[in-house]
Amino acid sequence: MSATRTLRALPTLLRVGVAETVAYRAEFLVWILTTTLPLVMLGLWTSVAQDGEFKGYSSAAFVAYYLANLIVRNLTGSWVAWQISEEIRLGAMSMRLLRPLHPYVAFAASHLAAVPFRSVVVLPVAVVLLVSSGASALTTEPLQLALIVPSLVLAWIITFNVMFMIGSLGFYVTKTMALLNLYFGLFSLLSGYLLPIPLLPVQIRWFAEWMPFRYMLSAPIELMTVKLDAAAAAWILVAQSGWAIATLVLALVVWNRGVKRFEAVGG
Amino acid sequence: MTRYLRLFVVQMRISVAAGMAYRADFLLEGVMAIAWMALTLLPLFVLYSGRKDVAGWDAPSAMIVIGYFLAVRAVLEGVVSPSFVDLVERIRSGAFDYVLLKPVDAQAIVSASRFEPWKIFDLIGAVVLVIYAFTKIGHPPALADLGLGLVLFVAGVLAMYSLWILCAAASFWVVRLDNLTYLLGAIFDTARWPVQVFRGLWRFVFTFVIPVAVMTTFPAMALLGRLDAATALAVIGGSLGLLVVSRLVWRTAIRSYTSASS
Amino acid sequence: MIRATELKKHFRVHKRPPGFASAMKSLFRRTYETVKAVDGVSFTIERGERVGFLGPNGAGKTTTLKVLSGLLHPTSGSVEVEGHTPFKRETKLLEAITLVMGQKSQLIWDLPPAETYAMNRAVFDVPKPQFDATLKELTELLDLGPLLDKPTRQLSLGERMKCELAAALLHQPTTLFLDEPTIGLDVAMQVAIRDFVRSYNQRHEATVLLTSHYMDDVVALCPRIIVIDQGVLIHDGDLRALIKTMDPDKRVSFTLTTQVADEDIVKLGTLVAREGQRISIKVAEAEIPAVVGHLLGTLRAADLAIEDPPLEDVLRVMFGKHKAQPA
Repeated sequence: MSATRTLRALPTLLRVGVAETVAYRAEFLVWILTTTLPLVMLGLWTSVAQDGEFKGYSSAAFVAYYLANLIVRNLTGSWVAWQISEEIRLGAMSMRLLRPLHPYVAFAASHLAAVPFRSVVVLPVAVVLLVSSGASALTTEPLQLALIVPSLVLAWIITFNVMFMIGSLGFYVTKTMALLNLYFGLFSLLSGYLLPIPLLPVQIRWFAEWMPFRYMLSAPIELMTVKLDAAAAAWILVAQSGWAIATLVLALVVWNRGVKRFEAVGG
Repeated sequence: MTRYLRLFVVQMRISVAAGMAYRADFLLEGVMAIAWMALTLLPLFVLYSGRKDVAGWDAPSAMIVIGYFLAVRAVLEGVVSPSFVDLVERIRSGAFDYVLLKPVDAQAIVSASRFEPWKIFDLIGAVVLVIYAFTKIGHPPALADLGLGLVLFVAGVLAMYSLWILCAAASFWVVRLDNLTYLLGAIFDTARWPVQVFRGLWRFVFTFVIPVAVMTTFPAMALLGRLDAATALAVIGGSLGLLVVSRLVWRTAIRSYTSASS
Repeated sequence: MIRATELKKHFRVHKRPPGFASAMKSLFRRTYETVKAVDGVSFTIERGERVGFLGPNGAGKTTTLKVLSGLLHPTSGSVEVEGHTPFKRETKLLEAITLVMGQKSQLIWDLPPAETYAMNRAVFDVPKPQFDATLKELTELLDLGPLLDKPTRQLSLGERMKCELAAALLHQPTTLFLDEPTIGLDVAMQVAIRDFVRSYNQRHEATVLLTSHYMDDVVALCPRIIVIDQGVLIHDGDLRALIKTMDPDKRVSFTLTTQVADEDIVKLGTLVAREGQRISIKVAEAEIPAVVGHLLGTLRAADLAIEDPPLEDVLRVMFGKHKAQPA
């Protein structure tokens, strides 16, 4: 399927994706609401830190961290693994493979189409964050601020790739739900979703610092809330780019192998 | 009555048979249960490595709250959630019509239509955790406390079940709601902390609006002998009340589905 | 016995025109319109009858069946099935009826049909000996033997439909509502299912209400047909009588062996179809002997056939007439 045809198809794909998202108002809202863990953690840690700083984090710092967490999670989260495994289970995947559009592009388009809406919902959170934390817990370095958006984009790409790869495992394994749960557990732990990485026990912290999870979530948060020198900030972007490419390659390899197997078995 | 019992047994048997189909799952589920418990305990570990006491709860007593959390979650993920997913699928495909045509209450059919039998591991893990917590405390719970702790566990499960029925009823009005099961899980996640840890509005919400406190904190307090009789009765009453409300809402949902009101 | 009196069923449907702007608007405000699916239908069906519901798509057939089986409350009018009000869904009634929807399945997808049967047995509280006997009878009649233990998703469409029927009949209902039971099936399977339904009706004196797009189903199975169009009943009675009143002329088909001019053919009757040398004409019943004589004698036509007009044509005329009337 040629690249030009894909590009030409993109506007329609995006438009339909938007219509789909809007078609089910309540589901859309529910999806937004499911990322409540950061809020719960926020409630917990701000209560704890009210009596005094907890390992270097003040109440305001926790507020900043978890609200930024919520924003990033909402903007970068992907559900393509569920989509793929459902399509395989219901038989719709066979149909999709017949179409002259690579599923990676199709799924990516439908996900991108939802970003505008998620931004709308995320906006009030961002405002609350700015108003409640102010400059004390948020960065003001212009370089860091400039890098936030690229970092979010890269985080989105890495997350999508990893989810796409896990979804592709549905070609090999029937119980993708178990895999997804395992993945989500690791993600919560190592990405900074559950707890800021510096608060993790030492042994785990070491793991978290070089696994891709950090670059899916914690990286943009760090740019927003931690004072970094230029080198450190740039390094984050470099590492994210590296992971974006690596996960893309991995995702497509697993996908291709999976499809071959799928077709051999009879779809 | 026997009809309902036999239905439950058949549904259980079918789910276990389906679950046994892949033997590798056995190992996987066991590993998952342990991994998940470790993950649940981590924030606790981090918290108590920096503080000795949080809102009147020390590490072992907070562990008991987590034990209840794991136990109720085992029931949620073992019975309630899978059945809910099944229900949503039936509504979407139209096969729910067949449920209405059976001479058995629809709520009974959909409540336990699917099981994840391996969640029993999680339940066992919860019990082990509570026992461990009590070894840290130094003495076992008084018999009366143990009894009350069990009763409130049942009340907690009923409260959680009622919330699920309310979500299930909602899915009649808005068809594509499979995410609701994740929402329920996400809200339920707040139950892993003693409710006193939250302050102000949060505490109010978690005690009265979405009563997760009922499911974990109060039963833990009962087991530790810290719960007064009045609160215990209120919790039991509240759970039963919620059960009744959810039943009424469910009935309304069915009536709407069959356009009884139009 | 089934009785419907002035049955009406109206729905409020949300209108959603295409386009980005309307999609955004529908996020905040929705417009509704009323669809009159069933608008004043009355009929009475006695025990043991086989009745076919016919009508174009969206005519109200499925809605009527859903009201009769208790899945929908009527907007107005009354319905009575075997002495019960369907929408109350009383246990006694649910044990006596069954609904089979060709487009929706009650079989558990990932498991063999046998498991669904076990579930139904528990739900309908069927004693084991009776259940075993019924299952045996159904297995023989529908040839289910090797299918019972294969997961439903592995069965072909026809096999699945047979298993669906069995699932629906395990509790030996006396009233059968069949909504498009043969949809998507091949001819051999359609015939098998028709035979099965007829045999069940005769053995158990079960009332059968059938909706179908396939005329053959209705012609083969139902001596009485009820025609519904746009929610209104436009015919209720004998199938042959319907054809006779709507279109009394016969169809005569033949193959020409010699060259015959069109004007000569038109003299015999109205031309209906022509495929090369194969011709079909409409002839009034009284003129049949003369026309046939002429065809065989003078024109030496071969492969002569005299038939009633096909039901499709009759219905097309009927629906066309109905549309022409003021609403």
